[in-house]
Amino acid sequence: MSYSTTDQTKHISIFRTLPVHLLIFACLIILWEMTNLYGFEDQIQADMIAPRPTNIVLAMLDIFIIDQTVWKHLISTFKKALLGASIGTAIGMGLAISATLSVTFRKYIKPWIILMEATPRIAVGPIFVALLGFGLWAAVALAALVAFFGPFVNTFQGLMEIDEEAEEMFRSLGASKFQTFWKLRFASAMELISAGWKLATASAFGGALVAEFIQASEGMGVLISQYVIMITMDYAFAALLSVTLFGFILFKIMDYVDYRLIFWKNDLLLLRESEKRRKKAGIVQ
Amino acid sequence: MAATAKKKPKQSPSGQTVIEGNSVTKVFGETVTALEGADFNIRSGEFISLVGPSGCGKSTLLRLVAGLIEKTSGDLTVNDEEVTKPRTDIGMMFQKAVLLDWRTAIENVLLPSEIQHRITQDDKQKAMASLDLVGLKGFEFHFPKQLSGGMQQRVALARLIQTGANIMLMDEPFGALDEFTRERLNVELMRIVGELKATTLFVTHNIQEAIYLADRVLVMTPRPGRIAKIIDVNFERPRDISIQTSREFNIIVEEVRDTLGSH
Amino acid sequence: MKLLSFLISFAKYSLSFIFVLGLWEVYARYGGLNELFLPRPSKIGDKLYNLFFKFQIIEQGTIYWHFFATLAQMSIGFCYGIVIGNSLAVLAAFNETFRRYIAPYAVVFNVTPGIAVLPLIIAWFGFGWESKIALATLVCFFPPFINTLTGLLKKNDEAIELFQTIGATQSQYFWKQQLPNALPEIFAGLKLAITTALLGTIVAQFGSATEGVGILMQRFAFRLDMAGSFASLVTMAIMGLLVFTIAELLDRRIVFWRDTKGLERVSKKKQRKLSTDG
Repeated sequence: MSYSTTDQTKHISIFRTLPVHLLIFACLIILWEMTNLYGFEDQIQADMIAPRPTNIVLAMLDIFIIDQTVWKHLISTFKKALLGASIGTAIGMGLAISATLSVTFRKYIKPWIILMEATPRIAVGPIFVALLGFGLWAAVALAALVAFFGPFVNTFQGLMEIDEEAEEMFRSLGASKFQTFWKLRFASAMELISAGWKLATASAFGGALVAEFIQASEGMGVLISQYVIMITMDYAFAALLSVTLFGFILFKIMDYVDYRLIFWKNDLLLLRESEKRRKKAGIVQ
Repeated sequence: MAATAKKKPKQSPSGQTVIEGNSVTKVFGETVTALEGADFNIRSGEFISLVGPSGCGKSTLLRLVAGLIEKTSGDLTVNDEEVTKPRTDIGMMFQKAVLLDWRTAIENVLLPSEIQHRITQDDKQKAMASLDLVGLKGFEFHFPKQLSGGMQQRVALARLIQTGANIMLMDEPFGALDEFTRERLNVELMRIVGELKATTLFVTHNIQEAIYLADRVLVMTPRPGRIAKIIDVNFERPRDISIQTSREFNIIVEEVRDTLGSH
Repeated sequence: MKLLSFLISFAKYSLSFIFVLGLWEVYARYGGLNELFLPRPSKIGDKLYNLFFKFQIIEQGTIYWHFFATLAQMSIGFCYGIVIGNSLAVLAAFNETFRRYIAPYAVVFNVTPGIAVLPLIIAWFGFGWESKIALATLVCFFPPFINTLTGLLKKNDEAIELFQTIGATQSQYFWKQQLPNALPEIFAGLKLAITTALLGTIVAQFGSATEGVGILMQRFAFRLDMAGSFASLVTMAIMGLLVFTIAELLDRRIVFWRDTKGLERVSKKKQRKLSTDG
């Protein structure tokens, strides 16, 4: 007898699973297409609720290649999200580092952080839009506000997780506070810090989009809203799909950076890195 | 085996006192007496084992000597200087190897030099030699994750050697290793310490290990932590692992057991 | 003793709040701040007083109505979300094939900002409560799904062997080992879900609504009534704190083995129960 959740070790090659994945995906798409064609009494309603996949693909072609409307908005949203994420990360990490270095600062910042955590920060959106206008900065500000929390919490947690023996080792070597901080604490926290960057990017996207929904001159939030208002749902879906697609690419890039940065968690990368450093030192085995 | 040594166990030229403690006491908080009235003096080049159950204050004693914690009362000097903070002529080794995962073995060994100054070519040569001395030639560019537990402790030992300290403090360095690895490392440690002529304080809860390595064994008892007895171990060096089965060896084992048991 | 130290730290925190608010007030009063941007605390306080104690009507109701409408929408969305998320997680934990084939969709879903669907949700569900509930559900089901799944799949080979040797059935293993073992993760998921559900509800209210604190905020901000906007922000913070505290308390009660205080409490309770039984 064995309990069913344990057989994770069974390795199934991607060549066997990929065709099945594609098949399932194709079936879902065809089912959707059929639903649109035959599932509704009235075609307008059908296109409203479940626009045909073929139409969505055509719409994507249109907005990306023929009409090229999407680029302007995509770039605008990405710019806002990335700027917001960077500013938020800088603030979050700065606060976290200060909070780990100073007990007094930590004590006095704590109630504010709890308050910030509990408040739905995205709700400040209308205030920012009213104050900063419909352009870039309202969205950047909102993105930064929602993004700062992930890097803050992760950096703080990473820096506070102290390995006492390692700390003693550094002290016994006569290391300065500064040396211990960078060479031990910060480096050990790198894994969590990098995870915080990913969190920041994800939430910054949400923040930028919400600011655009509230009111903006350009951006994917504006584009999606416009298509919905014009009741061209296939275009709305196409725009939504582009956000997902480009968001996905961005996250893959960040995953890769994380994977390379925290190389010591991966056996293969360790092997390569160790070979590289040996060569660099000019020692041939 | 009286407490007074009849003959000098080591051929160290000076044999002068390096570490001296007079009624050293450490109280944690207000009530927990971790170490009470410890008197001891350790001569240059000596190997001292501190043995006892957990809570007997052996790690506290070690950390006091290292200058990692401050004593509550008494006198404690290293090379005739009051211990107030960590000193560069003292190196430490812990139960965990505490290696930095993102650095290769040699980069870990170079850490002490890096803390003191910019790394020079000399430091690198020295680090290679230290790794060679602990039997890790060819593993210089492996990362800790790629090494076994025993090899990680060897890297930690090499790092200790790299500090150039002539006083080595070891806090159960082989405590987390399996019996076979521990035995092999004991033999190697004996050889290396002999070569370096370093003064060593070695904390362990393994009686055999304590006696096998030491010139003198400080037997400690808990609640409150005290040095109950100091026992001389006068076997010739280099010692073979087989002495552990000899009658004389086991007499000392019995003596340590009795001391621990009577408390 | 415990109460005293709590009171002291509470007083300290309040003092730091009051200090910052005071500084803000003084600064605003003596011309340092453009009140169009940052209203002074006394004005916000005044607005809050009007909203909460003079029952000022905005849109179609008092602030209490907006407050509870939002809480209700959030709670319904949250319930749907956790039911969906946890069911999917249990399914995925027990059925490897299912797990394998939903994995790519989960990965894509994880990186899509669920909030981006807002216009579509409004088009489908209209301007009423349904769209708020739908968006709340959509943005909050994912954390419980992922957390419950990770909790249930935690590697536990020795526990499995133990349960096998004492002849436990699959369902006994699930209820006595696997589920309790996953509870810390499950609760972490629920805590995440409840805050994201609130967020989803409020964002959906920005879209368009007749009730809710989100629409309150929207109206005040667009009229450039900053004191009103900040008053609604304070209201949301109160709501957030309320929801957050409830989640935290439940978590401490149920996953008592997370800290020593909880362990002591439950162990004492069990001891008392044993002595009264005997």
